[in-house]
Amino acid sequence: AAMLPALRRCRPGPVPLPALAAALGPGPFPGLCPGWSPRAVPARGRKTRYDPPAKSKAGRVKLPPPVDPEELLVVLERYRQHRLVLSALRAEFRAEVLQKKQEERLAAEGSVEELEEHRRLMAWNDEENARQQARREERLRKQEEEEKRKKLEIAEKQARKMEAFVEEKEKEVLQLQEEAKNFITPENLEARIEECLDNPRNYNFAIDKDGRIVKRTVLS
Amino acid sequence: MPMKGRFPVRRTLQYLNQGDIVFKSSVKVMTVNYNTAGELSEGARKFVFFNIPQIQYKNPWVQIMLFRNMTPSPFLRFYLDNGEQVLVDVEDKTNKEITEHVKKILGKNKETLEKEERERKKLSHPANFGPKKYHLRECMCEIEGQVSCPAFVPLPKEMRGKYKAAMKNEA
Repeated sequence: AAMLPALRRCRPGPVPLPALAAALGPGPFPGLCPGWSPRAVPARGRKTRYDPPAKSKAGRVKLPPPVDPEELLVVLERYRQHRLVLSALRAEFRAEVLQKKQEERLAAEGSVEELEEHRRLMAWNDEENARQQARREERLRKQEEEEKRKKLEIAEKQARKMEAFVEEKEKEVLQLQEEAKNFITPENLEARIEECLDNPRNYNFAIDKDGRIVKRTVLS
Repeated sequence: MPMKGRFPVRRTLQYLNQGDIVFKSSVKVMTVNYNTAGELSEGARKFVFFNIPQIQYKNPWVQIMLFRNMTPSPFLRFYLDNGEQVLVDVEDKTNKEITEHVKKILGKNKETLEKEERERKKLSHPANFGPKKYHLRECMCEIEGQVSCPAFVPLPKEMRGKYKAAMKNEA
């Protein structure tokens, strides 16, 4: 409250003139915005870069701020040492963190128990594979046996069929031979005709309602 | 919008999260050789169809390759980063047996997984407030039993700064 009214806008707080802030801009001190807001404000003000400078600035000579050489040397030296120390500290901390991470990674990966565990598991896996191999061989062997047995069966069946067939044929041949004895040949012809004529056969018969055959008819 | 594929449940997050094979960090490539026909390859086929999505979801950095009808019997092959190759014969096994086997030889233990889970939880404190991306709650007004957000329910006069200042100025 006991400030110049002009300085009141430098007090921390919300921006009192948000509408005009973009237009005027906080002049030559872009960093000293009211409220120290991080908004980027243009330092140019009202004119663009192509507008000519004002007439009142015609003879203006801009001089850089005066510098005391001894003070400058002292200040530069101090800054150099400060920055040197800071960067050294940062490098030191970075190296330490990296070292710690490397150690942890190595400890997690290459520990002896883990390698042991891995080898044990691989051995178990090999055993499992061997067991699977045994099972597979067993299966293949069974399959082969099965196939052989089937083939044998088929061959046997075939043989039996062939035998039956041959038997049938032989029976037929024998039967034919038997019948051949009763055939009528040109030599028998006369004799057989005489025989038939001598013994007339009577094929007539009667049948009654009960299905009994009666052979009483007389051949005339 | 229709579901895609024969068993669209394989595409759900719940199903994928149920996969329990998390490979050790040394496993880089997994190769599956199987046949599309045949009784003995049935387990391998089911494994490829049902379990490989779960495995890939849990191990996004492991390369999985499938080879069909190249060998008479099915098998799995794992390539580790020290050059070692692990062969797993899966002929005449069900897909459940295959997953159990793989989990036993190359999966992380339950204790290891729990330890990693605990490490991850340690990084973020659940009691902190902040953006929804990193924390559970943003403002105290979200919690029931606390004063509601003044954006929706105006504060009573007595809690407002302008009333308090006016009272003080009066007094």
